[in-house]
Amino acid sequence: MKRIARLAVLMGMAVSGMAISASATRASSSRKPVVAEPGATVDYSGTLSLLTKFGVQQLSPYFVNAAHAYETLHPGVHVVLDQQTDDSVKDKTKTLVASNSLPDIYFSWTGNWGENFVRGNRAVDLSKVIASDTEWGKTFTPAAVASFVWHGKNYGMPLYLDAKFMGYNKQVFSKLGIGVPKSFDELLSACDTIHKSGMTPISIGNKEAWPAIHYIGQLLAYDVPEATLEKDFNPKTATYTDPGYLAALNQFTSLVTRCTDGGNMNGVSFATAIEDFSNLKSAMYYQEIIEFDGSASAQTPLKQNDFGFFVLPPAASAKGDTKAIEGAPEGYMINTRSKHVSLALDFLKFITSMSNAEALSAPPYGQPSAVIGAVTDKNSSSSVVAGMVDLNATPFLMPWLDTANTPGVASAWLNGIQALAGGSMSAAQVIEGVATAAKADADR
Amino acid sequence: MKAAGSRAIGKGAGVGRTDASTGRLRGRAREAFRQCFSFRWVAAAVIVLVWFVYFPVVDNFIISTTRSDIYTGDVSYVGLGNYSRLLHDKVVWSALWNNCAYAVISVIFQVFGAFILAGIIESLRSDFWRRFWRALYFVPSAISLTVTGLLFYFIYQPQIGILDAVMRATGLGALIQPWLGSEHTAIYAIIAMSQWQGFGYSTLLFAVAIQKIPGEIFDAARIDGIGPIRRIISITWPLTREMTGLMILVTITGAFQVFNEVMVMTGGGPNNASQVLGTWVYQQGFIQDDFGYGAAIASVVFVATMLTGAAHLWYTKRGRVSW
Repeated sequence: MKRIARLAVLMGMAVSGMAISASATRASSSRKPVVAEPGATVDYSGTLSLLTKFGVQQLSPYFVNAAHAYETLHPGVHVVLDQQTDDSVKDKTKTLVASNSLPDIYFSWTGNWGENFVRGNRAVDLSKVIASDTEWGKTFTPAAVASFVWHGKNYGMPLYLDAKFMGYNKQVFSKLGIGVPKSFDELLSACDTIHKSGMTPISIGNKEAWPAIHYIGQLLAYDVPEATLEKDFNPKTATYTDPGYLAALNQFTSLVTRCTDGGNMNGVSFATAIEDFSNLKSAMYYQEIIEFDGSASAQTPLKQNDFGFFVLPPAASAKGDTKAIEGAPEGYMINTRSKHVSLALDFLKFITSMSNAEALSAPPYGQPSAVIGAVTDKNSSSSVVAGMVDLNATPFLMPWLDTANTPGVASAWLNGIQALAGGSMSAAQVIEGVATAAKADADR
Repeated sequence: MKAAGSRAIGKGAGVGRTDASTGRLRGRAREAFRQCFSFRWVAAAVIVLVWFVYFPVVDNFIISTTRSDIYTGDVSYVGLGNYSRLLHDKVVWSALWNNCAYAVISVIFQVFGAFILAGIIESLRSDFWRRFWRALYFVPSAISLTVTGLLFYFIYQPQIGILDAVMRATGLGALIQPWLGSEHTAIYAIIAMSQWQGFGYSTLLFAVAIQKIPGEIFDAARIDGIGPIRRIISITWPLTREMTGLMILVTITGAFQVFNEVMVMTGGGPNNASQVLGTWVYQQGFIQDDFGYGAAIASVVFVATMLTGAAHLWYTKRGRVSW
């Protein structure tokens, strides 16, 4: 017994020693910022690792084909892809960050998500190569490039643009004599008419919690002035006292009651909801441009000719920017710890060449490239082209609420809106919860 | 002479003691060396065990006393701050409640329910039907939890789900709920799925335990005119006590490690209503970037399962069954 106890003590001491020494290595590392130089020599050899968000079946061939083409062009280079989906890329990225294992190139959203990489000195400064006045930078939509600027420096390359629109079934609208709603009240009236016909007006799947947040983001852009929103995105300056917040959440409650299956949405996946729209079970689905070609195609019961879209209309009382559209470009950053910064930069230039940008914008991918002139009638579906026209015309691109805010505030939004949709919280309680989360984040 | 002799004796005795103690020391050193040398046979296993089992446990406790920023790598010591925060976190308490509900319901169905079912199956005379029912009940356990979660996600679907369709067809339409979408029903819908999945496995284990009971005992009971229910209560139950204890331990510790089914079916929602401690640890670490707080919750889970294990050891030591 004594011997076992002695052995246990020794093992405990050894384990504690290892743990303490391992903890000690977690100390902050202050590395110099890495700046990408325009004239740097590219060594076309070695392995280039890449974390993408194109893990779904429809999109994954894009990077596979691009990597293969790049390897053919430069036989000394081997590109290793790690393709994740919209949900899994979040966890995967954080795991890689925590273990200091980020690949050479990695996916990033704009807003707080991307800012974290900049704050942690994990993104290469690309200002000298992609700023709007540079040769490469001029090939992109300026607003897309600007979305990856923090503290006056460029840290990311926009790959494609994305925004949220209400997709609708033209045949159903025509059959029921409904026109495209111009105001929020008209939308609610249209929902009543569709409901009476026995069809679900809008399918929402909110199991993942972010789909309903997208409605809130658009409505907040309409009801809360842009300057107030920008101030409230920062927990240290946030107040959440603007009456527009309450107005937006009340509008959402009306939409839930009159246009959807109500609290059921919290138990339904977004994928099921979009299938309902594609399978003609619902008349509308609030979707991103990058989903247009998937929800209506030659393979789905809803054909492309019957697919239409409109911007979620604002309420007559809206005090914010009624021309705003919710959306953001999505792009890629280069890891400061990469041994192949020049090669990584060269690969990013390769995938944003006009031919690759056009391929990305065309079906089956349907991801509208951030490269100017890549989305045309010839290579993209008419819906994607029309969506891009609206997107380029908007004066304010409202970022996604869950990536614009800090994780604590984003969670308060996500959980609060689920509760609001389910009827267990009021609009005022949701805003109070968000304000409390912002205060907690600011105090840390 | 006497003195000299005494000295001589004394000297001789002193030398003798020194030799003896030196010899003992050498013997002990040899013994220690021999033990250390024999330790080499298990060294590899011990190193792997320490590195992959005990080191993470201790490391987790250390992390739970810190607050870190995964992006900058900055770590600050917060002492028991994360544990104090845990006490005021409403979601931790609701998650703990959910874990406990999971454990209680699972023990009822997967231990006591499975025991009764195994008793009934093993009392069948036909060998064919005994095998048939064992296999039939075991099938759900052969399906992965992720697949089962997806399967039940569709069963609970409000529009296309078979559950609502059956309820409407049987006149129970008024009782239909948004099973996974309601804060009141989500966790119980997940627990129900888990019972379906784990019930057959427990039944099979109980069936094995019942088969190990000598048939003569049952034959003697029959001759004495004891009926089947009494045989289960007075013979089967006490003689499968060790298996029952093991199943309770496995079921309760399993209930505190629940993760997959919740992630697949609700992700912890709506509004955190179906969070369990495992998913809340994940949420804190990988969504909120707060690994220190997540580690503190993980420590609570560790202590809870350790206590359950200790209680089981005490129970089985006390009531070992032999025949």
